[in-house]
Amino acid sequence: MSEGRMYPGYGPEEKTTFDPYSAFDIPADLRELHGRYDVEATARRVRNFRYAQEWMMLTMGGWLATVPEVPVKTGLGKLIWEDAKAADELGKRLPELRCGRKAVNSSESPNEGFAGFIQAIADPERPDQTIEKLAGLIDVLKPHLVLVYERHMRETDTICDAPTIEILDDIVRKTQRHIAWGREVLDRLCDTDGKRERRRVRAEALGEQLRACGGVTGDTGDRAPLH
Amino acid sequence: MKRFIEPHELARDSRFVRQDNAQATILAALPDDVDQVVDAFEKFAPAIEAQVKGTAAEPLFEAYGPAFALVTLNEPLRPNDPAAVTRLKLRMHGIFVGELQALEGAGRSLWDFPDAPWEFKMNMARQCWDEARHVQIFEKLLEHTGGEVGMFPESTFLFECACADDPALRVAGVNRGLEGLACDVFRDMIRYGEASEDQVMTQAVDYVLADELTHVRFGSDWVKAFTKDDPDRYKAAQDFRREVDKQFSFGGARSDREDAAIPIAWDDRVEAGFTEEELQELTQVSGEGPSRETLSEAARILRERHLARREQEATR
Repeated sequence: MSEGRMYPGYGPEEKTTFDPYSAFDIPADLRELHGRYDVEATARRVRNFRYAQEWMMLTMGGWLATVPEVPVKTGLGKLIWEDAKAADELGKRLPELRCGRKAVNSSESPNEGFAGFIQAIADPERPDQTIEKLAGLIDVLKPHLVLVYERHMRETDTICDAPTIEILDDIVRKTQRHIAWGREVLDRLCDTDGKRERRRVRAEALGEQLRACGGVTGDTGDRAPLH
Repeated sequence: MKRFIEPHELARDSRFVRQDNAQATILAALPDDVDQVVDAFEKFAPAIEAQVKGTAAEPLFEAYGPAFALVTLNEPLRPNDPAAVTRLKLRMHGIFVGELQALEGAGRSLWDFPDAPWEFKMNMARQCWDEARHVQIFEKLLEHTGGEVGMFPESTFLFECACADDPALRVAGVNRGLEGLACDVFRDMIRYGEASEDQVMTQAVDYVLADELTHVRFGSDWVKAFTKDDPDRYKAAQDFRREVDKQFSFGGARSDREDAAIPIAWDDRVEAGFTEEELQELTQVSGEGPSRETLSEAARILRERHLARREQEATR
């Protein structure tokens, strides 16, 4: 037990004897202040992210009835709930970014091009188009979102914007699971050269459209690779 | 992708066979009159025969004739009853395809009503995951009872009856009418599981029932929210739910009558948000169909006629 003072007094000789550490010494914290996005830019990006998460959820809801493969129906059921929770968490972040309490339901496409891209993802509705449905979602949109979310986590202020990072970190982990599941399904469904070509053509066309509009944030720096 | 789809557009793999919804419509509208019940089933006998051909229901048709559905639906399911295993598989298969359509219905509620409140979308998204798990659970339970997907024809009557174009009516029909029916059926299955000492079934269905109570609560909350300050819309929603309740009472098979094959799960429904007044109403609506004696007599006549026809065909 220390025999020194437990609490500081009023004079210079009345200090405690506890060793001094900065807020980041234990454990060592190498983070630095300042990131690429200010509060306003982060709020706009969160609205963009929420737009993508919400529309993925709605689109998959529509597809459930038009997909004949039972394991795809049940798999999409889980993705719908996880994308809904992602949109919900992103929405809850908006009032914390000075967007007002009513902002929790705000979604915003960065431009008309991305809104058109989302509609193109949702276009296939026939029962013989499961490959086209999943290729857009699994090969193009979700990998693009993982890329952009990871970049946001790297480039934003890691201390000031830590709540956004926490949300995106959780979404990325789940989205990576979605991609892994979807790719297994697609690999199984695309069991001929013709079907593999359908998947490739669909992904390539949507990838072009995504690049042209600047992706989920409309920022050319967020351009996604195809695969 | 368009908004609102027709029941025939529900996508299925090659294992599934469709059943004409006319058969379910007959059951819903049958009066308490032996002759009329017999006439109705005789009229649809060729269609019923065509639908069951090549499925596990074909032997039931051969044994009982077109009224095999009366036997399978209207007699309580007990472990030691004759043909209990086949009837159990038939019921499990019916629940499996019902869950499939409930999954599709919840998903379409997301797509068909994109401007609905966010909390509604969250509830429907959660329901999608729940129904997806229910499909998986009942596929496993179907296998557990020795059945397989596609062994019986699938009626899309559930999707047809419940998927209205107004979200208030949709949740009234799906979440209160059909999920309420699910509470009744699952409580009955838990009783069956306990009676047959099948712990796998009892525990799994108990979890599913817990989910269904949540879905009924979603419905109770959203009917109120969508129809707030709009008494006409509230009345339309209640009328629609009553109609669904009537359609899915299977001529009294699901009711509060002593001879009901599937009794109303009164306590579960109260916990899920049904009022005493609504339950009294359900008792009345579901009890209006033909009595068990009427259906048994009709089934006997139909079976005799069917067997006579088969004998005649054999001697030709």
